[in-house]
Amino acid sequence: MSLDWLSAFLIYALFTVAGTVGMAQFLHLQMGLAGIGNFGIVGFFGLGMYTYGVFIRRIPWPDAMGDILPFVISMLAAVVVTALAGMLIGWFISDLDGDGVLVGTLGFATVVYSLALSEKRWTGGAEGMAVTDPVGFGTKGNSLFWLGLMLLLVVAATYYVARVHRSPYGRLLVAIGQNEPLARSLGKPTFGIKLSLFAIGSAGMGLIGAIFAVMNHFIRPTEIGIEVTLAVMVGLVLGGSARVWGAVVGVLLTAGLFDIVVQIYLPLPDSWYQITLPVVREMVFGAMLILVLLWRPLGVLGDMRRDKLVARLGRG
Amino acid sequence: MLDAKGICSGYRGVTVIKSLDLSVGREVFAVLGANGAGKSTLLATLARLIPLMSGELWFQGEDISRVPSWVSAARGIGYVPQEKGIFPGLTVLENLYVGAMIGSRSREDRLDEVIELFPDIGERRNQLAGTLSGGESRMVACGRALMQDPRLLLLDEPTAGLAPKYVDSFFDKIREIHRTRDVSIILAEQNATKALEVADRVVVLSLGEASAIMDAADVTTEKLKEGYRI
Repeated sequence: MSLDWLSAFLIYALFTVAGTVGMAQFLHLQMGLAGIGNFGIVGFFGLGMYTYGVFIRRIPWPDAMGDILPFVISMLAAVVVTALAGMLIGWFISDLDGDGVLVGTLGFATVVYSLALSEKRWTGGAEGMAVTDPVGFGTKGNSLFWLGLMLLLVVAATYYVARVHRSPYGRLLVAIGQNEPLARSLGKPTFGIKLSLFAIGSAGMGLIGAIFAVMNHFIRPTEIGIEVTLAVMVGLVLGGSARVWGAVVGVLLTAGLFDIVVQIYLPLPDSWYQITLPVVREMVFGAMLILVLLWRPLGVLGDMRRDKLVARLGRG
Repeated sequence: MLDAKGICSGYRGVTVIKSLDLSVGREVFAVLGANGAGKSTLLATLARLIPLMSGELWFQGEDISRVPSWVSAARGIGYVPQEKGIFPGLTVLENLYVGAMIGSRSREDRLDEVIELFPDIGERRNQLAGTLSGGESRMVACGRALMQDPRLLLLDEPTAGLAPKYVDSFFDKIREIHRTRDVSIILAEQNATKALEVADRVVVLSLGEASAIMDAADVTTEKLKEGYRI
């Protein structure tokens, strides 16, 4: 089967959109179910990306280990470090109100960005650093491999989210999000549950960051700007943060439409791609967020149970 | 069952409960008092939602003075707050199920018992709890706490603000829960007349202190006035 229609641009755009869906699914667990408004998504994404980069580039791996083992160890390091960071941040914000959580997590993302910029010896500073790709399928083959891996991760994350929705654990997360003191009196350690949830979500975002580093072949601070958080947050809110498919639908309607349809298929002047389109993208996302919060605060998919109930009460 | 020895508790340095001694056995124990007497603070303290400033709290022979609320719940203390006792975004059934995450008995057996006790909420099992009336919400909150299979149930003014038709029914349920399920109950209540109909003993709180502890049968208007310090 010919894959000529899959250009390098399209593969990269699909990869980015898939990564955004994945992070939105992890955010869905934190924000949609447990009510923890994590605004530090790009911090965990960036920490995973840089942990992988630092491990793979700065550790003098013996030649005898080959390429794959250092890659696996560096990936695992990215997951473990972001999970630990998630636990630490979760511990710091555990007693804060909603506004405090948003500011605290945003502060974490800022710290990661600043470290990426200032710790030149490890991160390469503003110039960044190259990251090698351990897979040997050729340029396009490698890109397809990482796209496939990312899609697999997204499917796994969506399946996990769907399982959580139907489980007692999911109901407990909703209970914690709605009334934590009352949830504490149910006999389950809500602090530990929130902490583990934050660790799982952070590790997932860190893993996506690490895979992104390999796919991108290069990491630099400009990759971890606030627009990453914005794309994930807008996608989830637009799709519906209370629904399993909210993240998928929302991100496809935002990053999917913009990064794939507009950027690749619309005949736009070449001069737009450098400055105009990224700025327009943020403006459109911001405007969409405002419109959704005004007209459909539960997102495009809404909350089906609530919608059904309101419809029934309306008929009654 | 529950012994409080000289407990003090409150909020941000303000002592509300002042050196209170209580011993509650297998009974319905009413906590009476005027507004601001400390009834809700006392129940939240016994549920371990408010930390002790001093004193000791023992439940079924175990020191629970320093344990968090989830541990005391796991050991058998159920708590129904005066307000916000349900999870509004979950259905009635889901509200009941989150109560059944501890204990070894079948979830369905517990559900059947709760629905038998409160048939009204059984009819609304798929409705979002946030859309229930005040009386129905209290039933769901009480049912949720019973799903925990508690040995001791703390009820904080369960009939406050309820329509009269619900009040009588609710006190009947309290008596039934104690009799048929062998659950001890500590009931904070402003409606002294109704509370005395179901209680075995009462404590009257005044500004966080126990001004009187007596058998419900011995309570007279004069003793109540003395306890309320009117």
